[in-house]
Amino acid sequence: MRPLTARRVALVCAALGATLFVAVVISLRMGAYPISIPEIVMTLVNRFIGRPNEIPPDFWNVVYEIRLPRIALGILVGASLSTAGAGFQALLRNPLADPYVLGVSSGAALGAIISLAIAPQTAGMIQFAAFAGAGGTIAAVYFLGRRGGHVDTATLLLAGIVAVSFLSAVIMFLMTTLPGREFRGMAFWLMGDLASPPPIRSHWLYLLLVIGVGSIYTTSSDLNLILTGEQEARHLGVNVNRVKIVVYVAASLLTGLAVSVSGAIGYVGLLVPHLMRMMFGSDYRLLIPTSALGGAILIVLADLLARTVVAPTELPVGAMTALVGAPVFIYLMRRRVR
Amino acid sequence: MDPFRNALKIGLTAALLSFGVLRASADVEPARQNRLPLAVVPGDQIVTDDVGREVKMPAEVNRIVTLAPNLTEIVYALGLADKLVGDTNECNNPPAAKSKPHVGEPQNPSLEAIVALHPDLVLATTAINRVETADALKRLGIAVYTSNGEGQTVLGILDSIQRMADLMAAKAKGADLVAQMRRRLDELHARLEDRPMIHVLFVVWLDPLTTIGQSTFIADALRWAGAESIVLSKQNWPQVSLEQVVRLQPEYLVFAGTHGESRATELTELRARPVWRDLDAVRAGHVVNLSEKAIRPSPGLVDAIEQLAHDMHPEAFTVGSGDRSPRNGKQLALERSKESIPCAR
Repeated sequence: MRPLTARRVALVCAALGATLFVAVVISLRMGAYPISIPEIVMTLVNRFIGRPNEIPPDFWNVVYEIRLPRIALGILVGASLSTAGAGFQALLRNPLADPYVLGVSSGAALGAIISLAIAPQTAGMIQFAAFAGAGGTIAAVYFLGRRGGHVDTATLLLAGIVAVSFLSAVIMFLMTTLPGREFRGMAFWLMGDLASPPPIRSHWLYLLLVIGVGSIYTTSSDLNLILTGEQEARHLGVNVNRVKIVVYVAASLLTGLAVSVSGAIGYVGLLVPHLMRMMFGSDYRLLIPTSALGGAILIVLADLLARTVVAPTELPVGAMTALVGAPVFIYLMRRRVR
Repeated sequence: MDPFRNALKIGLTAALLSFGVLRASADVEPARQNRLPLAVVPGDQIVTDDVGREVKMPAEVNRIVTLAPNLTEIVYALGLADKLVGDTNECNNPPAAKSKPHVGEPQNPSLEAIVALHPDLVLATTAINRVETADALKRLGIAVYTSNGEGQTVLGILDSIQRMADLMAAKAKGADLVAQMRRRLDELHARLEDRPMIHVLFVVWLDPLTTIGQSTFIADALRWAGAESIVLSKQNWPQVSLEQVVRLQPEYLVFAGTHGESRATELTELRARPVWRDLDAVRAGHVVNLSEKAIRPSPGLVDAIEQLAHDMHPEAFTVGSGDRSPRNGKQLALERSKESIPCAR
């Protein structure tokens, strides 16, 4: 294992943070409403120095009500999904694990739909239901994918495919039988969509993100040892079961969190950890924070494309990530088979 | 390992701190409430829309954005084309609507594009718009009036058109338009009331075979045209099996222009399709094609109803209006109409 210093972690994270900042600035600048960089700076500065009355209403709306919430949501979703992906990859000791491919996102979506049908108004209910759906699905896929005590790649991916098609069938059944126009938006939402940020001022969602990523990060040195072999890790004094449970709960939480606000956006959890491994190595102490930042960058840029390439028509961001993610998935799979 | 535990602690603390800052910055919110044009200005009107939401908007509406094709048609029919500052990519009727600035697709319009147009009023419909869009616009301080699009009656659509006309200070024009539509409907009713109802299959999509439910405005439009759907369903757009259609043998097939483009389903195409070619209605040439534009909840709907009535009850229209004896069907069925070939029964 390459020696890793706290300094290197800080440097790499600072570089990625700067990239994210640039992505955010570009995203703030681009869109159907023409607005220049000085105007954006004026809008931001005036609010910061407590003179919101100086801001023209249009700029206020475009910057604070449309673009920033959407960018913030993109950061939340991207960071959650790619950290969850890195977590599942370690948990299942399989580099092809991804919340979308394994059906975890579909499980979370089913949970969210059921909660919308039963208790549409309860705050936090949809997040909890999505979390429960994600946790239930990954447990089922894990046990289905296990053969003779260890997880086999092909069986695991097949279990994921089965889970996706089964859950999609249940979702389809619910969407055709449940009455009400609330379900009209669902088809759109299922593709993965950032166009409708949650109505509540939902800072607690970001707190959940920090808790989820933080708890996976606490296990990162143990994950490094587990990845070299569970027996070896046990001998070195790692409580393997505890680590697995922490990663399992946190990754399910992150997936549920992302799906509950944006639907099933695919392949982020696969794409980003792989890119980060290629760039910075596979040490989980570096991989977890870089995945979180990289996921945020990827989604912010993907959503920027989704809402500008055919403006004013907007594409679901899930379509953008799948367009890039699916070929990469095939490439990684074929490279492993050879 | 220790430096990492420390780094983590520092990181978590920083995150919690920034969370606190974010929370604190959220407290700026109340300050801006006074600034947005949400505050009641004298001369504002507050109305309740078709879905029960309160809409606050200026008494004089000068800039309108429509989020669905039927709403665009209504605005044009009310003579308000000058005030229409934006519509959707789907708005194709009248052709002039295509050159208005577009705000995207009805299901997913760009909020920014709408803000940029500075509308006084945005018109939406339950038929194709999403409630999330209306919510988001409301948060932006933009007045959204949602009209009831499906699960409606034809007369309900007339009322809805009148209400929208009132909002946009086109009360008289709206009353004229609605009265004229009402007169045409009443005239049809007078001609058709003694005629037997014709049983039809209304085809929304051929693949998968999708038809209409009994509470849609299209089911009601069919009744005005002297016809009845063979499918009774509480769902608005139920899928039916071809087997059901064979069993129920509708007298007429009515096609709506396919989704997107209005490609008329040709009788010759149906005659080449297995199973379809053996349906009584296809054998008899009892197929009516309506343009996609005609089956929107808009003023054009009456045109569609008239076309349907003419095609399915030609005997009610052929001879001078004096002849309304109901039992002349056998003779008069031999008269050729534009779309249908006489029945061979």
